[in-house]
Amino acid sequence: MANNVFYILAGISLLSALMAMTLRNLFHCALFWVLAMFGVAGVFLYLDSEFLAAVQVIIYVGAVTVFIFFGIMFTRNVMDERISVMNGQFALALIAAVGFAWITHKAIQESSFRGFEHPLILTQEAAPDTGKTTTLATLVSGPDASSNMSVENLAGDLLLPDRGFAYAFEFVSILLLAALIGAIVVARKEPS
Amino acid sequence: MSTVPLAHFLYFALALFSIGLFGVLARKNAISVLLGVEMMLNAVNINYLAFAKYWNWNSLTGPVFVIFIIAVGAAEVAVALAIVISVYRQFKSANVDEVHALKG
Repeated sequence: MANNVFYILAGISLLSALMAMTLRNLFHCALFWVLAMFGVAGVFLYLDSEFLAAVQVIIYVGAVTVFIFFGIMFTRNVMDERISVMNGQFALALIAAVGFAWITHKAIQESSFRGFEHPLILTQEAAPDTGKTTTLATLVSGPDASSNMSVENLAGDLLLPDRGFAYAFEFVSILLLAALIGAIVVARKEPS
Repeated sequence: MSTVPLAHFLYFALALFSIGLFGVLARKNAISVLLGVEMMLNAVNINYLAFAKYWNWNSLTGPVFVIFIIAVGAAEVAVALAIVISVYRQFKSANVDEVHALKG
C-alpha cells in the first residue's frame, strides 16, 4: 500500500507534465503544470521532507503560478488555431529527449546504486556522532530526534554560521533581491 | 515502511526531466519553455532528496541544495517573465522562433 502511494503520485505527475508540454491552450498547460508540481510535492512528502514539500507548494503552486498566469495574460496574442504550438524542431527535440533518457537509463543500470533498495533508517544506536556542538537543532528537538532530516536540523544548517551554509543562504537572499530589481528594470517601459 | 527502490525515484526524475527537456526544445511559446525549465529543476530536486534519504541520511547537504535550487528557480522565473514581457512589447509576440533580430 505504502508503495502504491509513490507510484500513483509519480503517475499523476508524469501524465500532467506530459499534458503541460503538449496542450494547445497556455492556461491549460499552466494548470497541468501546477498539478505536476503538486505531485512532486507529494513525492517530497514521501521522502520524509515535509518542510520542502510545504516550500514546494507555497513557491511553485502559489507564487510562481501567479507569475506565470500574469505572464500569459500580458503576452496573449491571438494565435491561429491551425498553427502548431510546436516549432520546427519537433522531431529533433523528441530525439534529444528520448536519447537523453536512454543514455541516463544506461548509466543508472551500470551504476552501483541500483542496489539501494531501502532507505536508510537512523536508529538510536546507529545515530553517528557528528561532532556538532549544541546547536539550535538539539536545543529545539532534543537529543532523541528520530530523523536527521527534520526542519530544526535544516534551519540549523541554513542559519548557524558554524554549520557551513549560513553565508550561502545570505547570498541567496542577495540574489533574490537582485533578481527582483532586475526584473523591474527589464520589464518597465522606457520613459520617452 | 517504504520499500520503493532508489532506482524508481531516479527513473521518475529522469522521465520528468526528459519531458521538460522536450518542452524546452519543441515549444514555440516562451512561457511554455519556462515551464519546461522549471520542470527540469524539479526533477533534479527529486534526485537530491532521494539520494539524501537512501544514501546519506546524516548529511543535510541534499535538502539544503534543494532549498537553494528553489530560490534560484524563483529568481529565474521573475527575470524570465520580465524578459518575456519586454520582448512581447518589442516584437508583439512571445514566440521564441519569431524573435530573431540578432539572426545573421
